Amino acid sequence: MLKAFFKDARHYQVLFLGTFLLYGTFILRWDTHWDHYIAIFAVALLTQLAGIRFLRLPAHSWKSAMITTLGLCLLLKANHWGICALAAFLAIASKFFIRINGKHVFNPGNFGIVATILLTGQAWISPGQWGSGAILLFLVGVLGSAVVHKVSRLDTSFVFLGTLMALQAARNLLYQGWPFDYWLQQFTNGSLLLFTFFMITDPVTTPNHKRGRIIWSILIALISFYLSNYHFINGAPIWVLFFIAPLTPLFDKIFKAARFEWIKTTVMKTSN
Amino acid sequence: MIALMLAAWVQGEAFCGFYVAKADTKIYNQASQVILVRDDNQTVITMSNDFKGDVKDFAMVVPVPVVLKEKDIKVVERQVFDKLDAYSAPRLVEYYDNNPCNQYRYEMLAKAAPSAAMGSGSAVMDEERSKKDYGVTIEAKYTVGEYDIIILGAAQSNGLQRWLTDNGYKIPPNAEEVLNPYIRNNLKFFVVKVNLDKLDGGDYQTLRPIQIKFNSPRFGLPIRLGMANANGDQDLIIYAFTRRGRVECTNYRTVKMNSGVKVPEFIQEDFSPFYADAYKKAWRREGQEAIFLEYAWDVSSTNYVKCDPCVSNPPDYKDLEDAGVWWVNGGNRQYPGSADFNGNVFFTRLHVRYNRAHYAQDLAFQVTPNNEQYQVRYVITHPATGSFTCSEGRRYVREVAARREEELQNMNRLTGWSIYRHIDYLDDWNRRNGNSNNRIKRGSVGDTGNNGGIFILGFLVLQGIALFITLRKKG
Repeated sequence: MLKAFFKDARHYQVLFLGTFLLYGTFILRWDTHWDHYIAIFAVALLTQLAGIRFLRLPAHSWKSAMITTLGLCLLLKANHWGICALAAFLAIASKFFIRINGKHVFNPGNFGIVATILLTGQAWISPGQWGSGAILLFLVGVLGSAVVHKVSRLDTSFVFLGTLMALQAARNLLYQGWPFDYWLQQFTNGSLLLFTFFMITDPVTTPNHKRGRIIWSILIALISFYLSNYHFINGAPIWVLFFIAPLTPLFDKIFKAARFEWIKTTVMKTSN
Repeated sequence: MIALMLAAWVQGEAFCGFYVAKADTKIYNQASQVILVRDDNQTVITMSNDFKGDVKDFAMVVPVPVVLKEKDIKVVERQVFDKLDAYSAPRLVEYYDNNPCNQYRYEMLAKAAPSAAMGSGSAVMDEERSKKDYGVTIEAKYTVGEYDIIILGAAQSNGLQRWLTDNGYKIPPNAEEVLNPYIRNNLKFFVVKVNLDKLDGGDYQTLRPIQIKFNSPRFGLPIRLGMANANGDQDLIIYAFTRRGRVECTNYRTVKMNSGVKVPEFIQEDFSPFYADAYKKAWRREGQEAIFLEYAWDVSSTNYVKCDPCVSNPPDYKDLEDAGVWWVNGGNRQYPGSADFNGNVFFTRLHVRYNRAHYAQDLAFQVTPNNEQYQVRYVITHPATGSFTCSEGRRYVREVAARREEELQNMNRLTGWSIYRHIDYLDDWNRRNGNSNNRIKRGSVGDTGNNGGIFILGFLVLQGIALFITLRKKG
């Protein structure tokens, strides 16, 4: 029974993201608003259920909605539960309505966060909420890679993080001469690691071909580096992913490969 | 205005709560204070430092993103800091129980917040010396108030260090390695020295805060230079004004300081040491790397309740003007109790205690739309007086005895202060309760601490189980 449970990589993801949420709430003492979490959870699941009912999506796609729910709870802050509910709706609905070549364009969590910030101005992300516990880096990294390994998108994570680390090292350590811990602190940021291991690894919204994915990851890292170092944009990767996502179909056109499916042998229409 | 606020307070709670003590910045050994005003890309920073010593030795070097113009540099009176400190300091409030056997009978007490105003100075420029060999460019040179100000651009940190030393600035010997990253980051250096002629014989107490204004997407505070002195932990209190909402740190955690906790009555006499110890304990619990939110409030003219309860007067138009809040307009006294200005202003007070070991980066901030109000407030409750012979009275005595025990435990949890040293706090009420035993239940005493270690351990175990199952499946 347990074996069956772990067969679907999304089960891992839900467990891990859930653990992070507990860690943030009870150990890091985030300013937790349970009504916000409940709103995200309820609206995301209801929207997904509507998709299952009316768009004939497979019933197991609610698991993807759970992943989106947890991602939103972990990253998005707002003044009112209604804004959280809007974010959850936009996130899930984007999967149904913004599609190219039968594949949705945006990572739903990413779309929900950015669209809500842009539309309402009443939501924000808190990149500083994680602290710099190196243990967290280790755990998130290792656990995250276990997850992506199962859905074979590990390349995206490592290429993105590696590129960003190299660029920052060149700038902070070699050029500016900051001490090592200055550089390291940037990569002990939980938001960045969640982004790296849980958002850009979304197999449905990343390019299908491996070479395409590598170029795509480098591109995200380059632009993020530029925006955060020269324009002081907080949470730059999240913004970059939002604006680069529409290019994925182009990458798929150039680099042709088979599309990802959550559970082989069945035809899926969804992702997280 | 105060009457109106008290009315609002009474409405919200069953009993009056009054401010009785506050823990202002004077309780910390080394405390700098900064006012940050931010909207879009415009920033105003007012710096009040804790320099104590011969004014000849006073030197301040602040990395700034642009060459400041003379009109963008001001000297302001120190009293704006005192006022903001008094307004937002962690506070102790008191409640009075009603005797359940009597009709309403409660006393009220309030103390005025002490305030201090400080003096002024005046100015001329000393001789500029050769700088060709140093790789240092003097971008601008001003005399503002009692300060001589030079804005330097530099190509090399050792040149800058030598230039500063040769020109009579007392710079810590290991400042060079800290200066270099700023030079490489194209920052300019805002260098300040006291002009002794303008100070007119005054001492360090007469040095006024300096205010600078600039336009840049960078929003942060350089703390690395201050750590070159390497003399332990330093406290920094930040008073931030924005148009939208709270200011939070983007590269360190911003955590709420604990608040709303019931503490024993005797804390009233020792509130400053109580808060100092509570802060120290919370700071250590968070691994010395969190920044604490001590106050967050919408102080706009449209918000009538500017504190709850007020420790001192909320900032008025003059204070905002002194602090450099440029977007407000004065002169609105249309409604009683409203502020005398127009415009949205959100106020945040943050408390940082930094040291080199835990603060590798300068502080970076962001303005968020978060307009949730917050204050650090501890509560003491004075029991009712008289006799409690009625049946409700007997229950009340039991409740007070239990409450006092809880208050002692809270005190211990927050500060680490010994319960047993204050055990007589329970005497009177335990006796009334017909119980002479002062033993507090074992196990209920002590600090729960941070459970992070246990959590992570549990996490690792779960992870191990998951991996085991996965591997077994593959095998």
